[in-house]
Amino acid sequence: MSRTFPAVSIDLTLLRTLFREEWRLHAQLFGGRRFLGFPAIIAILVAAAAVGLSATGTSTDAIVTGLHVFVFAFGLYSGTAGFAGSDMLENVFGDLSLVLSSSTTLPLSRRRLLGVFLVKDALYYGVLFVLPMASGLAPLLEGAHSVTLPLAIVALWGSLFALFVAGMVVTVAGIALRTRGVPGWVLAIAAGTGALALWTTGTHSQLWALFAGDGAAGTAMLTVSTLALGAVALRVYDPTYSRPSRTATDRFATLERALPLASAERGLVAKTLLDLGRSSGGFWKPLVSTVILLALVAAMVGIVGEITGIEPAPGIFFGGVLGLSAFTTYNWLTQFDRVEAYLAYPVSVEAVFRAKRTAFVLVNGPTVALPYVGAVLWFGATPRDAAVGAVLLAGYSLYYYGLTVFLAGFDPNEFLFDAVRFATFTLGVAVVLVPTLVAGFVVVPPSWPITLALGCSGLLFGAVGFVLSERAGSKWERVYRTG
Amino acid sequence: MAAITANGLEKSYGSVDALADMNVSVSRGELFGFLGPNGAGKTTTIRILTGQVTPDSGDVRVLGVDPTTDPIETRRRVGILPEQESPPSFLTPREYFDFVGKIRSLADETVAERVERWADRLGFRSKLDTLHTDLSRGQQQKVMITQAFLHEPEVVFIDEPLANLDPIVQEQVKRFLVAYAAEDNAIFLSTHNIEVAEDICTRVGIVADGKCIAERDLGGDGGSESRSDSDDASTRDSENSLLETFLAHVDDANARDVPVMQR
Repeated sequence: MSRTFPAVSIDLTLLRTLFREEWRLHAQLFGGRRFLGFPAIIAILVAAAAVGLSATGTSTDAIVTGLHVFVFAFGLYSGTAGFAGSDMLENVFGDLSLVLSSSTTLPLSRRRLLGVFLVKDALYYGVLFVLPMASGLAPLLEGAHSVTLPLAIVALWGSLFALFVAGMVVTVAGIALRTRGVPGWVLAIAAGTGALALWTTGTHSQLWALFAGDGAAGTAMLTVSTLALGAVALRVYDPTYSRPSRTATDRFATLERALPLASAERGLVAKTLLDLGRSSGGFWKPLVSTVILLALVAAMVGIVGEITGIEPAPGIFFGGVLGLSAFTTYNWLTQFDRVEAYLAYPVSVEAVFRAKRTAFVLVNGPTVALPYVGAVLWFGATPRDAAVGAVLLAGYSLYYYGLTVFLAGFDPNEFLFDAVRFATFTLGVAVVLVPTLVAGFVVVPPSWPITLALGCSGLLFGAVGFVLSERAGSKWERVYRTG
Repeated sequence: MAAITANGLEKSYGSVDALADMNVSVSRGELFGFLGPNGAGKTTTIRILTGQVTPDSGDVRVLGVDPTTDPIETRRRVGILPEQESPPSFLTPREYFDFVGKIRSLADETVAERVERWADRLGFRSKLDTLHTDLSRGQQQKVMITQAFLHEPEVVFIDEPLANLDPIVQEQVKRFLVAYAAEDNAIFLSTHNIEVAEDICTRVGIVADGKCIAERDLGGDGGSESRSDSDDASTRDSENSLLETFLAHVDDANARDVPVMQR
């Protein structure tokens, strides 16, 4: 005779299993011990940013509000069930089977499983990510040096956590509507129009004050609203929904013909571009990575300027640093295939690497050019500074690319797990970047001799990068063929 | 002249010997089954024969080309269906065949005509414009089979061709392979599946411990001839079923676990 377990017991078992799975996933992704240090790193980063912003004259209220906005955005993202559906996870682990999908084999409703999964995500990210963010703000909180500090941190965390969960629930509500046949673009337009209306009528600040800015009462109101919306979203969610298969017109042929390259290379380049363009986030991914780098560097420039009174030459500074996005762009370009997959065709490994380089130039060019132009305009670079910065950006990008390909082949992520290669790469970057940044700080705006020297450096290292990427092909051909 | 020959192949991955004196020869018109347990050396042999990996020693020829010195020409002339590879996730089958056609220098019209034929043969016409990532494993396998034969090669290397296919399509693929080999082509079929080998192969080689330890001619008319490491074993082989022959020769404990790639 079978026993019937109470629903709560099943939910708790499910919750425990989901927690264990989430932990192991992160531990596998980042390394067990390293992941254990994540909350501390988050707290330190938030504290450093908060102190830096405060030192540059940003008010504490503005910093706290900024963190609330960030946490809400993080909640919106987490509502997509975190990494569960992302290509990145599949690329790292191969085909994944998660507990979330076990309703197909177990007597569990998909709706219930999703509900428990979201509770797990809320608690997991709320404690391991949001709580350290709140703790990071401790130096700025009232009573920072008194015994009431823990209470202040808990109060801030409560407010942030409520907003984080609200973000999650808003996304889930959107997903629920999608399962009822509402197209994604309709939701996007509705969200955009709503945000615009709130902004133009000034209602956004009233709403914000009501939910996020009014202490415990606001937090309580937000919590009640979130729970209500969450219940409705789960009710609306159609557990029988399955995503329709995605079809596409034959873009390969069009793209392949349009590329101004030698015939043999065109197919390989076109495939790489389509792989990236059709993955989640498409061509925006490398651009977003570069913009994040730009934002970090821009914040650093502001902080350094405030503290030391020295501001660098923006062209040289941003040209040198933004070239580092070569690493992330190349990473995206190699996420969707393996060298072994090409060994079924009559192409050499060298040809595959050459095609990757061409794809890199095509993708990385606009990816770094747009943020660079924005930065030199925003920071008011002189024409000479902007020009030499552009040379540095192009040359160093190719150099960082060549260094990455030569050291890591098709697996740039291996840097993270191989101390020797990581150290070599870091040294290779430092040799170029440190003198450039020093030059950018010492003579502002750059003199003609500095300009010429840096221009030559950009060209020289660009050539080195080209040679390294050429040699990488034969090197990795040898590695793969000798096994 | 044999379409495929390998003499005295040896290959080690670090301290693991993957192949130790592997000898094999396949003629045109043959559908040669390469039978063996996991880690016996089947995949390493195929990777050497297709120029993906270089042997430590030994001689190899595929259609008169040495895959060790000219891997690209070898891969231009043969078809390869690897066991583990899937078609690119974010391309549709139609785009993937365009891609393979370009790489193999096939005319657009030829690709289009052959894709139509294969789509009808394996029943994936309705999926031609669906991203591979949204196709089932079976549909992806059909795409991989098509790419291996798209250029109508004289020699085809196949690793577990029937994985994930439904019984009807399995039967169609088996019939196709038999007919294709009979048209003066050579098919080198690596498999664990003894029934499949017995069903369609003209000859099988049994691999264990990094070498081909026995061969058996399945002819096609029910008769069989055997070659084995000893005369007594050879006599026994000719009287046994293929399964019995296989079990008699393969000591599972001797099978080697070979890493896919060590770098």
